[in-house]
Amino acid sequence: MSSKKTSNKFIKNFKDKLNVYLYVYKIQIIRSMAYKFDVYGNIIMQTIIMIATAYFWKALFNSADSMGGVTVDTMLTYTVVSSMVSVLLTTNVEWRITESIKKGTIAIDMMRPVNIFKVFFAENLGAITALIFQNLLPIFIIGSLIIKVPVPNNLQDGLLFIISLILAFLINWYLAVIFGMWGFKVIEMSALIQVKKHLLRLLSGSIIPIWFFPNWLRGILECLPFMYIYQMPISIYVGQYTSDSLRKGLMVQLMWVVILFVTKNYLEKRVTKSVMIQGG
Amino acid sequence: MIEVKNLCKEYHVVKKEEGIKGALKGLVKRESHKIAAVSNINFNIKEGEIVGFIGPNGAGKSTTIKMMSGILTPTSGEVFIDGKDITKHRKEVVRNIGVVFGQRTQLNWDLRLGETFELLRHIYQVDKEQYLKTLDTMDEILGVKELLDKPVRQMSLGQRVKGDLVAAMIHSPKVLFLDEPTIGLDVSSKYALRKFIKEINERRGTTIILTTHDLGDIQELCDRIIIINNGSIMEDGNLSGIVDRIAPYKTLIIQYFDEKIPEVEGAELIETDGNVAKYRFMKSETTAAKLIEELSAKKPIQDIAVEETGIEEIIRIAYS
Amino acid sequence: MRVFKTISHYLRVTLACVKMAFLIIVEYPSSIIGWLISNPIQFIVGFATIQFVVEQFGEINGWNYGQLAVLYGLSVISHALSMIFFVQGWFMGMYVIEGEFDRYLTRPLSVLYQFFFTQINVFGITDLIPGICVFIYGCYKIHFTVNIMNVLCIIIMLAGATLIRGGVYILLGTSSFFTRSANDFGQYTQEIFDKTTMYPISMYPESLQFILTYIIPIGWVSFYPVSSMLSIGDSVSGFPQVAGITLIVGMVVMTIAGIFFKYGLRSYESAGN
Repeated sequence: MSSKKTSNKFIKNFKDKLNVYLYVYKIQIIRSMAYKFDVYGNIIMQTIIMIATAYFWKALFNSADSMGGVTVDTMLTYTVVSSMVSVLLTTNVEWRITESIKKGTIAIDMMRPVNIFKVFFAENLGAITALIFQNLLPIFIIGSLIIKVPVPNNLQDGLLFIISLILAFLINWYLAVIFGMWGFKVIEMSALIQVKKHLLRLLSGSIIPIWFFPNWLRGILECLPFMYIYQMPISIYVGQYTSDSLRKGLMVQLMWVVILFVTKNYLEKRVTKSVMIQGG
Repeated sequence: MIEVKNLCKEYHVVKKEEGIKGALKGLVKRESHKIAAVSNINFNIKEGEIVGFIGPNGAGKSTTIKMMSGILTPTSGEVFIDGKDITKHRKEVVRNIGVVFGQRTQLNWDLRLGETFELLRHIYQVDKEQYLKTLDTMDEILGVKELLDKPVRQMSLGQRVKGDLVAAMIHSPKVLFLDEPTIGLDVSSKYALRKFIKEINERRGTTIILTTHDLGDIQELCDRIIIINNGSIMEDGNLSGIVDRIAPYKTLIIQYFDEKIPEVEGAELIETDGNVAKYRFMKSETTAAKLIEELSAKKPIQDIAVEETGIEEIIRIAYS
Repeated sequence: MRVFKTISHYLRVTLACVKMAFLIIVEYPSSIIGWLISNPIQFIVGFATIQFVVEQFGEINGWNYGQLAVLYGLSVISHALSMIFFVQGWFMGMYVIEGEFDRYLTRPLSVLYQFFFTQINVFGITDLIPGICVFIYGCYKIHFTVNIMNVLCIIIMLAGATLIRGGVYILLGTSSFFTRSANDFGQYTQEIFDKTTMYPISMYPESLQFILTYIIPIGWVSFYPVSSMLSIGDSVSGFPQVAGITLIVGMVVMTIAGIFFKYGLRSYESAGN
């Protein structure tokens, strides 16, 4: 009897919490849609960047039909998909954490009955859901019309792409949280976050796939998490992989998710402890 | 000193619809409408006056004071300070004004207080000698010199407000605007701030415009109050004049020896509680002395009190 | 005479601001180290990726590796200068929403001047270092001799380029007065500038080139002046002329931006209404 009661209570508790996160998710969708101009501004800027990148590749492939087994068509699809993926990988959790440290609200945030990082996650998903309508669709349409319709290599590659993308999303998110939490140690985080942002932009294959990088650098990048965020899912999408590299790639992605998850939990515990003691 | 003519300010407000559906709809089409925050305000302020603006939240007092200090551009109407239109000659006119806006600080958070003063000295082109003189005066009133070498981020709110007051006075402005200056301050800081306002007004003849919710500020400082509600001036005058107009009556409280309460001509019996009775009478029609005389002739009186209508009450009536 | 006085007034205030900026750096020594590492890494890595691409494909639209390095270096230098003087433009939306223009409006100086110079970003110097390094490396690669005439023209051109960038930041930021949103387009702005100033714009279709020359004249930030400096393509005018045009274009963009900002400021609503 009493055990049933506790289990009921547990379920109710769980449901309440889930409701909180769902609420956060929904509110964030609404909030993200509040500014019409921002949305248009973002779409214009993102498409300009996408078109510029496409012409960059067209100019490069002007003299050569293919380079290392890659054709200009592949690169155009790569460009459009990369723009779309960058929308799905949007995150501002670092800033949320550093802001909350700067404003001194972190202690209150951490003491709340709901886990603040899960709230951030729900918020993030909400923002991305809004972005799918606001940015992803327009980019897809404009990209298809002006550059190329980004069809996957085949259906199976399309499905594998989705799996790889989910893993990429988690890697990206955990990495952001970990960088954000570093702010507990170093209050002036802006520079470090910038370094990460630029490395991510340049070394993840978001603009230039690492196929074009020299071997020594490729070797280094394969040991870092960055290329598993953009390069990995997109190269599956365009069919630039061998069954060997695919298996290995997905395994490494999964490994990074686990490593980063454990690191994040460890840091979270330490941070919670230090907040409890010092009160922020 | 200050002339405000037919001042109006409208804001565009975007209507937001609820829920995700509303948010999606808002992306395509959005309705906006105009709201008049201030409509057709007129008044003049003489040199050396201390004027308090009061009114409920959102009544338009902040909007008015921000238009007077050149922050907001009026939708129509004009503000003249020392004979010059502030919208047209902003840079020239603001040399004569100082501004302290509530919880917003103009002090540089990362540096010593003295660094901000030094920058302001250059901005307002105050020479070193004049600057040191002003600082001496301010130190006499507020005791600010001990704070000069302290980083602003290490200061208490009270200390920061002191710093902001001095920062606003570095160029010895003719007019000082204060928007909710006492908000959040402890008793001793509030006292220091009021003393500061009184002293710079007396010593330098600085005209002072302030908005406040603190009725103590008004009672202690203001020669004149302007009550604003719904974007218009409801009352404008000195405190006792406004009290006379809004509440032209007093209340006479009499305690008798038993519960048989007599009535009297010229006053209204508004409340009885056992052997205590409250009479309300118009100040213009009769006096308390006359009523007491008549009542004591009817019944023996144990105790007497005369109550003025309190300022809280006045404001409550004016707002409604 | 009055103009003279005004200029000396602004100069004095600028000096005081620069002094304050340095004092803040002294206050936070760890952040300068952070930026000293972060900013050079960004551009060195950025330049390295260009090198890899050029190694694979030979050249980009007729520009060889050394010439691209010169283009890249000068682009980064003008970026760095724009970061020092105009970076606040990226955050204008936030200032609008939070009512931070109140204090500038109640002081007897130009609002735009105060907005940029009272918080001059000395950290931007850390961007200059990689820019100068890559530029010198590029000059060495293509055996470009730098004489006094060239240096003078480069300075004029950089002034123009910085003004163009600053003007664009102001134009974008000013939109916040009308939209009342705090969105900052900083990252996108930089990405677009990177794409259009670090590579030759001749690789884009003619319609885009037209826009980048006459409508949003980013082409003048680096492409046109460097083309004429290195005599690449069919540029007819000499470097001094093109550098001069760049400066004029910069001043025009800045003037338009200033007028637009003044117009936007009329719609400023402060905070808490």
